[in-house]
Amino acid sequence: MAPNVRLQSWLQLFALTMWSVSTTCGQLYAQDDASSPNTKTESKLEQPKVYSARELDELKESGWKRSKYYGSTEQATLNQPALAAMPLPKLDEFRESISPILQSACIECHGESEQEGNVRIDTLDPNLHTGKDVDWWTEVYAVVSKGEMPPADSGELSEPDRKKIVEWLSTELQTASIVRRQSASHSTFRRMTRYETNYALQDLLGLPWNFANDLPPDAHSDESFQNSSELLHMSVSQFETYHRLARNAISRAIVKGDRPNTLHWGITMKDASRLEWPKQEQQIAKAKKRLESEPEKLKEELARLEESFSKEYSRSYYRDLSSGKTALATWEYDGAKYAMAPSTDPVAVPDSLDHVVILPAGQSINIELGNQVPDEGTLRVRVRASKTKSIQERSPSLQLYFGWQASNEGRALIRVSQTDTPVTAEPGSCEFYQWDVPLGEIHPRNSVRTTSPMGALPSPSEYIRLVNSSASPDEVLIDYVQVQSPVYDSWPPPAHERIFHHSSDSQSESQVAREIIARFMAKAWRRPISEEQCEQKLKLFERLRPECESFEEAIVEVLATVVASPNFLYIVQESAPVQPEVSNTSPAPSRARLTSYELATRLSMFLWCSIPDDELLELASADRLRDVEVLNGQVKRMLADPRSKRFAEQFVQQWLNMELLEFINFREQVPGFDPLLKEAMQREPIALFEELKKENESVLNFVHADYAMVNERLAKHYGMAGVHGNHFRRVPLDGNFKRGGLLTQAGLLAMNSDYPDSHPIKRGKWLLVNLLNDPPPPPPPAVPQIDLANPEIAKMTLKERIEDHRNHAACMACHVKIDPWGIAFENFDAIGRWRDEVKGKPIDASSDLFNKQTLDGMGGLKHFLLENRQDQFVAALVSKVTSYALGRPLKFADRADLESITARVRSQGDGLATLLTAVATSELFQSK
Amino acid sequence: MTLNINRIDRRKFLRGTGIALALPMFGSLSLTGRASPATNPKRLGCFYFADGVPMPLPNDPAYQDWAWFPHGSGKSFQLTKCMETLEPLRDELTILSGFSHVASRNVHGHNNADQFLTAAYTGQGDELYANTISLDQVYAKHVGDHTRFASLVMSTDGGTGTARGAHTMSFDENGRPIPSEHRPKQIFDMLFLKSDQQSARRLALSRSALDDMLTDARSLKQILSNDDRKNLDEYMESVRLAEVKVAKAKKWLDAPLPTVEGAPLNLELTTDEPREYLQTMFEMIYLAFKTDSTRVATYQLGRENGIGRSEHLARAVGFNLSHQLSHETKNPDGWKNFGTFCRFINEEFGRFVDKLQTTPEPAGTGSMLDNTLLLYGSASSAFHLSRNYPLILAGGKNMGFVHGQYINHAGDKFQGGAWMGDREPWQDKATMEDKPLSNLFVTMLQRLGVETNQFADSTGIVEGI
Repeated sequence: MAPNVRLQSWLQLFALTMWSVSTTCGQLYAQDDASSPNTKTESKLEQPKVYSARELDELKESGWKRSKYYGSTEQATLNQPALAAMPLPKLDEFRESISPILQSACIECHGESEQEGNVRIDTLDPNLHTGKDVDWWTEVYAVVSKGEMPPADSGELSEPDRKKIVEWLSTELQTASIVRRQSASHSTFRRMTRYETNYALQDLLGLPWNFANDLPPDAHSDESFQNSSELLHMSVSQFETYHRLARNAISRAIVKGDRPNTLHWGITMKDASRLEWPKQEQQIAKAKKRLESEPEKLKEELARLEESFSKEYSRSYYRDLSSGKTALATWEYDGAKYAMAPSTDPVAVPDSLDHVVILPAGQSINIELGNQVPDEGTLRVRVRASKTKSIQERSPSLQLYFGWQASNEGRALIRVSQTDTPVTAEPGSCEFYQWDVPLGEIHPRNSVRTTSPMGALPSPSEYIRLVNSSASPDEVLIDYVQVQSPVYDSWPPPAHERIFHHSSDSQSESQVAREIIARFMAKAWRRPISEEQCEQKLKLFERLRPECESFEEAIVEVLATVVASPNFLYIVQESAPVQPEVSNTSPAPSRARLTSYELATRLSMFLWCSIPDDELLELASADRLRDVEVLNGQVKRMLADPRSKRFAEQFVQQWLNMELLEFINFREQVPGFDPLLKEAMQREPIALFEELKKENESVLNFVHADYAMVNERLAKHYGMAGVHGNHFRRVPLDGNFKRGGLLTQAGLLAMNSDYPDSHPIKRGKWLLVNLLNDPPPPPPPAVPQIDLANPEIAKMTLKERIEDHRNHAACMACHVKIDPWGIAFENFDAIGRWRDEVKGKPIDASSDLFNKQTLDGMGGLKHFLLENRQDQFVAALVSKVTSYALGRPLKFADRADLESITARVRSQGDGLATLLTAVATSELFQSK
Repeated sequence: MTLNINRIDRRKFLRGTGIALALPMFGSLSLTGRASPATNPKRLGCFYFADGVPMPLPNDPAYQDWAWFPHGSGKSFQLTKCMETLEPLRDELTILSGFSHVASRNVHGHNNADQFLTAAYTGQGDELYANTISLDQVYAKHVGDHTRFASLVMSTDGGTGTARGAHTMSFDENGRPIPSEHRPKQIFDMLFLKSDQQSARRLALSRSALDDMLTDARSLKQILSNDDRKNLDEYMESVRLAEVKVAKAKKWLDAPLPTVEGAPLNLELTTDEPREYLQTMFEMIYLAFKTDSTRVATYQLGRENGIGRSEHLARAVGFNLSHQLSHETKNPDGWKNFGTFCRFINEEFGRFVDKLQTTPEPAGTGSMLDNTLLLYGSASSAFHLSRNYPLILAGGKNMGFVHGQYINHAGDKFQGGAWMGDREPWQDKATMEDKPLSNLFVTMLQRLGVETNQFADSTGIVEGI
């Protein structure tokens, strides 16, 4: 269900909740080492039931049969909730049949004498349409329909009575939500987020660079998305930053003068190894001198040396193929001795070479380029490489870094390759692998490269580093490295042409300026530009031109105001015409629809995190976007477009609150954890999302899937064999619940842990908040601390401590809702590995939910969710996606629309692409 | 060459500056109407010296004379020979031990000049580099509009230096280094001679652009619903505030430059004459403060780990290279030599403090020192150890600072000793837990009038200063 007022007040308290989790409950773990064996727990422990993947799959089917949408035809659910006439609240029905049930089942604890959990329901206004208590009713509906209330040990509610309440409330909530649409006020006028600004500038300028780094990070709340209108503010320094970055971005897109000369480096490994071989000569000479008088010993020593000169190293080393000799590849910054001089002419690529460098897995080589690498333009690196062994389906991979070291401490090393490049060439047939690096994106560069001479200290030289990033022990062989910079495939470059191209052959600057500015404005503001607006910018041009040194400079200044204008920075919707007064008898008026242009922007912000492309704008201009077929086609196209990857990344990271994972930064050595693993952990949920989106598979696969999306490093972490290479791919699971879906992903488990301990409460809370959209209530003001000084408590196992804590009256209400969910995760350690025991004691991952339902470990949890909570999970995801798509928090008035979208998704098989399409084509999405 | 600042070589001076300066002082330009003669300015100066300080252990014969930190604590402390040049200023300053920035305590000391005023984790080796805003820039954001220059950023080596090898103490709000100026003439010209055509042009462009964006916003507002308009108001307010800032900057550009009188300077000095160079650089700050050209200044006196111009500073006291002195403390007279160099730096800092103290506040009460808060220190103490920073706080009595004390938080638990060529103090387990230096920064900002309870990783304030 959509967050309502009460949930929002919880939200404000969420920080407090987290505080309590980390301070009061955190202490549960603080003395794990000290806890003594607890025989009571061990003796009653039984092995949890193991569910096979097939059983879980069957559950999806049987759980679907329990869904309230089961059996509903698509046609029935597709009908948007539209009301013929304003309905009246069913107050008579409430008085006659609902109120008496509530009286007998609830009032004892939630009435005049007692208000358990500060909830009182006998005073709630039963008029949901206009009454003030609709948010409370929403709560009542949630707890009664899920069977959480009344609790098993107090109060009685027969199934027919429960059904009566649920049905009355469900109808009333639904109609009330529609009735309330009219009075609901919300603003979706918001500025773009930092990441949207960046992508929008990329698409506007046609350059995949980082333009928005200087913007402050956007606020983040646990329940709403970064693009939520109420969170996106503007301050003077932020505005100044927008203006400045707009100017910088446009200046970077254009060029001045003639094409700069390209420098060429052609580096053979013979050149690269030139300092290594003389070291061997020196060793021989030294031995000869030392053992001059002992010819026998000398002979032995020389033989030993000779042998050592052809050994294989575990670090990168050169090999002279003609002699078989090898030498360790070394590098030091001092004196720039390793630098290679560039040539101003292109260097011919030699066919075959007799020197190579071998990079074992994890090893690297620095190719030093000196101090002439330009500030801007493309650095093109081409590496001729191969594998050294031909092993089926196994390829090592390369990463490219850019670095420099000016002095002992003054240095930097920046990864400039976006993805790992698999080296697939077979031994003996090297192939070129290429990277194009925009130099302007590298920060920080060596700041002394223009002031300090080569060879001096601080060293002005810079280098590239090639890293074998394989997780398998596979070597990369390199025989030639070609570097060119700056490379411009055309001049002026396309981004420049994109701005300055004009058809007018007029000599008049203002004629040309008009064409340039009008085209840029229409794209940036994503709607038709009026004559007045164009005229205004042209006047600005005329005013700025005398202050500027060139036509181009004046254009940059004007275009910067186009970008820093609210027309670019904000998602604009024209106000709808005023609706006539609504009376109880008049038909419910239809909502104001977005214009085609507004819809184009909402679509592109949703699925691309950016501005619309030409095709969308053209359709908008023909007003065809509101045509259902056209809209469906566009959504399909947009989902297939590479730009939709941005949506997958942003949505998944925010939906799952993956910022927590970002913060995990083990400075100390944590066994089993390394940067490669962290990257894979961050990638995994996104990879699963993209797979479901691409294949339109059921979103229930987020709960459990019979495959995992992994790369080699992650597979190793999960103990899965036969996965090679750093790319993510779909790997079938061998029929158990330990992996598959989101719940068992290492990164998500790790970020909800408190290394070295797991953290059941964080995990339970995360599941409830992020996946089930069912946040637990806030902690009461006085949460008692867990008294670790008490020897009885210190002796307890973790689970017992949690249970003990829960037994305090003040803690009970919340923890009974959180803990069992989290304890079910206990078989996963603090970095998400499966474990059967902890410190020699078997894991007990079983505990009882409300109503004594047992959640037995991960298998039990998945089982329960698939059997009983399919509707809740799908509705929760619909809710999250819709809130993100609209860029605003959802309100009670949206309830009926969400219900209709959920119904459509469920009846069409729960596919993720279906869900996204259902949201994007819903009436809600197309309304202001 | 001119060797003594007090002996005026008029010819050289004229060659250096191009003009003679003998005009009346120029006070603060009243922009807002709030600056009255009775309102004392609040200034901040921060100074960094490199490579730590002598930290002989108590059983070392050099401990008595050459330890940087005084002996004793509270009001009762003795300055060693290393520090005794500051004795006349004893009541104007507070010495502190046992403070450091939390994030970088386990990092090799030579990496840490970058974070002295920021408290960021700036890392080591090939780690990704990121920094955050420095103390002086936080204050400059607060007070910068009141003067022609928001802040003055200086160093001995110039520019930004490299990541983890900073030549500047100042970092902007995005954590980017602000280039420092090391040439006295450039600083002088900027302060007192140059009219900035480029800035004037830039401002004119900004003004037109801002006007235009406000027009955009106004016409956009027409088509928005009432709910949406509230959101747009934030934007319009931001543009208006940006216009106010431009208008202020414009006033400064149009205002006449201040002029200075007094002893002419040799502005062509370099570190070839280290003592005179330091004196001249301090003089630049003195003049900038006195003319109210800025109220914020940083000066990084040396660069960590040698290399470059600041390596020459030790020549003032007869040694060849500065950095090496910190390595050779196990040699005979090693502590003394290193201490002698530090004494020289202390002496020049003291000369500057003294000058501020003996100059009455041009448009206010007390001495300039009473209205100027100075922080002087380094990001390492014992050999490469990023803890127990040597720190002196001076001036600012009109802001409520109480001086004449040694806040000896480290006590006798400090780490030190000569480097014997093997394990270094920074690699050892810490013998005590330092206090977060950010807490001192919060206290400083509060006394400077910035309403804040937080700087970087601060956990509170420092009481009793």
